[in-house]
Amino acid sequence: MKSSFSSMHGLRRLLPYSLRQWPWLVAILLLTLVSSATASLQPWPMKFLIDYAVQGREVFGPFATLLAEFGLQPTPTVLVVVAAIASLVVFALSSVLDVALSLSWNVGGQRMVYDLAGDLFAKLQRLSLLFHRRRPVGDSLSRLTDDTWSIYTVTDGLLMSPIQNVITLVVMTCVGFALDPVLATLALAAAPLLALSSMYFGKRLKQRSKLGREAKALLTSFLHQTLGAIPLVQSFGTETRNTKKFRALAEETVMLTQRGNLLGSSYGLINGLITTTGMAIVLYVGGVRVLTGAIPLGTLLVFLAYVRQMQDASGGLFQIFAQLKTAEASVERILEVLDSTDEIHDPPQPSKLPDRPPGKRGYLRFENVHFGYELDQPVLKGVSFDARPGEVIAFVGSSGAGKSTLTSLIPRFFDPQLGQITFDGVNLRKLKIADLRSQIAIVLQEPFLMPHSVADNIAYGRPSASHEEIVAAAIAAQADDFIQGLPNGYDTVIGERGATLSGGECQRLAIARALLKDAPVLILDEPTSALDVQTEASLIQAIQRLMEGRTTLVIAHRLSTIRHADRIAVLDGGRLVEFGPHDKLMEREGLYRQFYEYQFSGQQSIVVG
Amino acid sequence: MKYWWLKLARYALPEWYGLLIIGCLMLLGIALGLLTPWPMKLIIDNVLDRQELPNAVGWIKGLPGAASNTGLLGWLAAATVGLYLLKQGVSVLHTYVRAGVGSRMVFGLATDLFDVLQRRSLHFHSKQRTGDLIRRVTADTSCVRELVLDVYLPLLTSLITMIAMCIVMWNLSPSLAVLAVLLIFPLALVIRFFARPMTQRKFDEWEVQGEMSSFIEQNLSAMPVVQAFGREDIEDDRFRGISQRSVQASFRSEISQHQFRVGTGIVTAIGTSIVMIIGGISVLEDRISMGSLLVLVAYFAALYSPIETLAYLSEGVASAAAGARRVNDILVSDEGTIIDAKNARPLHRDRNSSGISIRFDNVVYGYASKRPVLQGISLHIKPGESIALVGATGAGKSTLVSLIPRLFDPWQGAVYFDDIDIRQLLVSSVRENVAIVPQDPFLLPLSIAENIAYARPHASRAEIVAAAVASKADAFIEQLPLGYDTIVGERGITLSGGERQRLSIARALLKDAPILILDEPTSALDSQTESLLVEALDVLMRGRSTIIIAHRLSTVRKADRIVVLERGSVECYKSHLQFTARKDFQIA
Repeated sequence: MKSSFSSMHGLRRLLPYSLRQWPWLVAILLLTLVSSATASLQPWPMKFLIDYAVQGREVFGPFATLLAEFGLQPTPTVLVVVAAIASLVVFALSSVLDVALSLSWNVGGQRMVYDLAGDLFAKLQRLSLLFHRRRPVGDSLSRLTDDTWSIYTVTDGLLMSPIQNVITLVVMTCVGFALDPVLATLALAAAPLLALSSMYFGKRLKQRSKLGREAKALLTSFLHQTLGAIPLVQSFGTETRNTKKFRALAEETVMLTQRGNLLGSSYGLINGLITTTGMAIVLYVGGVRVLTGAIPLGTLLVFLAYVRQMQDASGGLFQIFAQLKTAEASVERILEVLDSTDEIHDPPQPSKLPDRPPGKRGYLRFENVHFGYELDQPVLKGVSFDARPGEVIAFVGSSGAGKSTLTSLIPRFFDPQLGQITFDGVNLRKLKIADLRSQIAIVLQEPFLMPHSVADNIAYGRPSASHEEIVAAAIAAQADDFIQGLPNGYDTVIGERGATLSGGECQRLAIARALLKDAPVLILDEPTSALDVQTEASLIQAIQRLMEGRTTLVIAHRLSTIRHADRIAVLDGGRLVEFGPHDKLMEREGLYRQFYEYQFSGQQSIVVG
Repeated sequence: MKYWWLKLARYALPEWYGLLIIGCLMLLGIALGLLTPWPMKLIIDNVLDRQELPNAVGWIKGLPGAASNTGLLGWLAAATVGLYLLKQGVSVLHTYVRAGVGSRMVFGLATDLFDVLQRRSLHFHSKQRTGDLIRRVTADTSCVRELVLDVYLPLLTSLITMIAMCIVMWNLSPSLAVLAVLLIFPLALVIRFFARPMTQRKFDEWEVQGEMSSFIEQNLSAMPVVQAFGREDIEDDRFRGISQRSVQASFRSEISQHQFRVGTGIVTAIGTSIVMIIGGISVLEDRISMGSLLVLVAYFAALYSPIETLAYLSEGVASAAAGARRVNDILVSDEGTIIDAKNARPLHRDRNSSGISIRFDNVVYGYASKRPVLQGISLHIKPGESIALVGATGAGKSTLVSLIPRLFDPWQGAVYFDDIDIRQLLVSSVRENVAIVPQDPFLLPLSIAENIAYARPHASRAEIVAAAVASKADAFIEQLPLGYDTIVGERGITLSGGERQRLSIARALLKDAPILILDEPTSALDSQTESLLVEALDVLMRGRSTIIIAHRLSTVRKADRIVVLERGSVECYKSHLQFTARKDFQIA
């Protein structure tokens, strides 16, 4: 558990997001002050009615002259009407202030929320894939859409509430002492008790709210995985079982909500008990003082209204602690992302890539690279090789040998734990990430299409590409034909996760997307796995054209692709066991030759390279 | 949609006892609320103004020390604390029960919604965004709580409170009671005028929020592409764009709520000042006591709370309606859902028979209207026969096999199992008889063992291991930190493509169904694993009707027949030799 000092520090980390909306905060503060002043006027019309109109006391000087200005005599009837109008005016004023206040909170607050959410989103996008592997999408989603609202509480707790309540307290105490020092002292006596109760409940409330949130996050992520795998769910007939599990998770959430509520309302009960007892004491002592004639009845009523406001203010002040405690759970979840060091950083002083002519760019070198997703489970164990500009390297190896992992180190999705990778002689870590990634085009195993138009998907890496360029890329990737057949051609919006396109169509769009990026290094991760023989054959030609003059790293099982490679890297259990041209490797009668004879004897009759 | 408020009330029925308790607690709270201003009235009239105590409360004098004025004052002050304690106690109990009842109703609705969503056809899901659906299940379902707890119950209790208050006020001052009743009409007018735009804007606000969730969701799911294509800045901008629209939508919705509030507020404020004038004059004329005036003003302020509640009912209805609309969009229509026919029956089959015969009879199907993917497919697969399905990308291979477990229904024609139209069979029975290895392995964040036993959660560990061994997955599973109990990461990305595929095959194996569909089962496997697996598949296919979508000759060779799907129709070949003799499939 963190100390309360460090958690306060965490809360303060979010303050800049509040302070950036300072014009709204100033407006809110001014409006609150005016509205608490208005609130302090509220009991006065009643006092008028009782003391001056009904009990016929002498109307005090300045007010009598004010009435005279309007040509009115302080007769009881006039005073009644004046009191009624005054109460109307006070009401109108306070409701106008309320509207303004709530609108300011709404706009200022939401700006804070989305400012924070925007940064959080930006950070999430830049975190290494290691972070994303460990956290379900639903979890990150709830951090973004739910937890960010805690900035409201933080702003109120750290900035607005202390200022408002202290001012109210000071003003009320002054007025209270002026009206009757004895009652004022009594009214303040409840304050220390309120402080105690908020300290007692604060910690417990925080714990509850954290549990509640976690239960909700679990529910959301269960929903996400189930709704994301509908074909599986339906063909395996697990609907009823999933519904049962959903219900169980929901019940858990209900229980936690209910417990949290019980705790929250007990807190309210204790606070209410303290303030009401305080009020009763003031009422008793005040009543005695009215009986002895020390104060008029109207003053007692005004005072009782003030006591309520003073108690609210001091209660509010002490509640800040508890209030912040409830927000803390959310704040922790936000900061966990914002402070995550798992990010792939730009170096402080990035090196520039050496200026080389086209065709001479893209020299890649792996030097004794070690990497594992978990520290105790190495996937790559000391891989060294180089890929010269324009060369095609094919990676061969059994599944799990580390082929995909190896290629994902090049765009720095991950950083190696040991060893280094250089690009044109510069260590990848010394380059600006954007510079590095602009040099690399990728076709991944899973195409990941976005629910944008087909054209936008192809131009994903270069949003400024012209329509002609997009069509050219689609033609080269053999995608133009089927795109033309779609309802809106290039403007057809793709369903989420490419559901309305076939696997092969998705793959071809992914290839077109990589083509349009036109980078010196090309990474192809099983680019043809979802394609049939016919499409594959024509695509291979397109890909071969694409490979010309680029350093290409390709993970493929197809003989045609492998035979076209300049050199072949054979991976086995995270080690590079053989590396060289096809003929040389065949001569060695090693692992490659085994693979070759096993696999390609059959393939040859379908696809002849 | 018309009677949505009635339909949703259905979810309140199982909670009737909780609702009854809440109702009783609310009424008790109201009664205590009505008593609240009385100690003060007694203090003013009978202590400070020294009038005689009314008969009804004469017993207070009998309390020890209450005979003296200060003693009475003490008792009355203590009474305020006592009343408060009772009132709060009731309210704590109330919130406790309410939180439980509320969330149970919400989750009742959410569970139904989730259940329906799972059963909607793939066609429906291909057009929906997962993030938006999640929002419907987790957020929009709170409409039932809003409806029952913020509309129905307050409606009931507010009416009772108002009537009770009017009766007490009538006894204190009949003219003021009449005034209170009269105020209801202008309030009703204001409500009617402002309620409609409020609903619409609330709905707009929620739509933008739904859009935001799905934007975030699709982005976070496609992280590798976002990063590799350097889209972070562009996506940041898009996020800000949606944020801004969200702020605007919320602002507009807030404004319309305030128009409503100010409108009702003005009416109530005018009412209060009229009470002060009439009441004040009555006190001057000694028709009512000072204390009674205070009780009246307190009641008037309190009277507004039920009227206000009633006034805001339409706000509650509006907000519930916005959520209900999004929930009902899915719940009410069963368009595209595959449901059991009226006289559907289970598929009976002889235990000893090998497989089931599958017949496609002139089947036409497509995803978008007027763009049929399958154009009159007729195909007969004999029990125990294996078919390799080949064809160009987009020829409809995956679509054709999806018709077998009835993930879709054909537009025209029919699919038969053992000569029974599968639409005459129970959906569950059809699907029980089909095991699928889909293109995307879809591993769930459960343990490896639970993933393999997905179709048969009660399978023994020995059966699970046997399935894993048969699909060549056992070796890598044993090497995982927790073996079969290792949890697979979300969407199974901590495993390589080949490993995921092998788990998916093990899962289908364990299901042990007479029909087996393999959608490119070996595409993500490397050569060595594949050749091992092909042997395993050979064993698996024995005695089952099998359809394999495959591109490799090594797999195709195992099939009894090869079916080529071309431009929506089929052509069959007896053997792979006959097939490979086709010129256009050879690329020289």
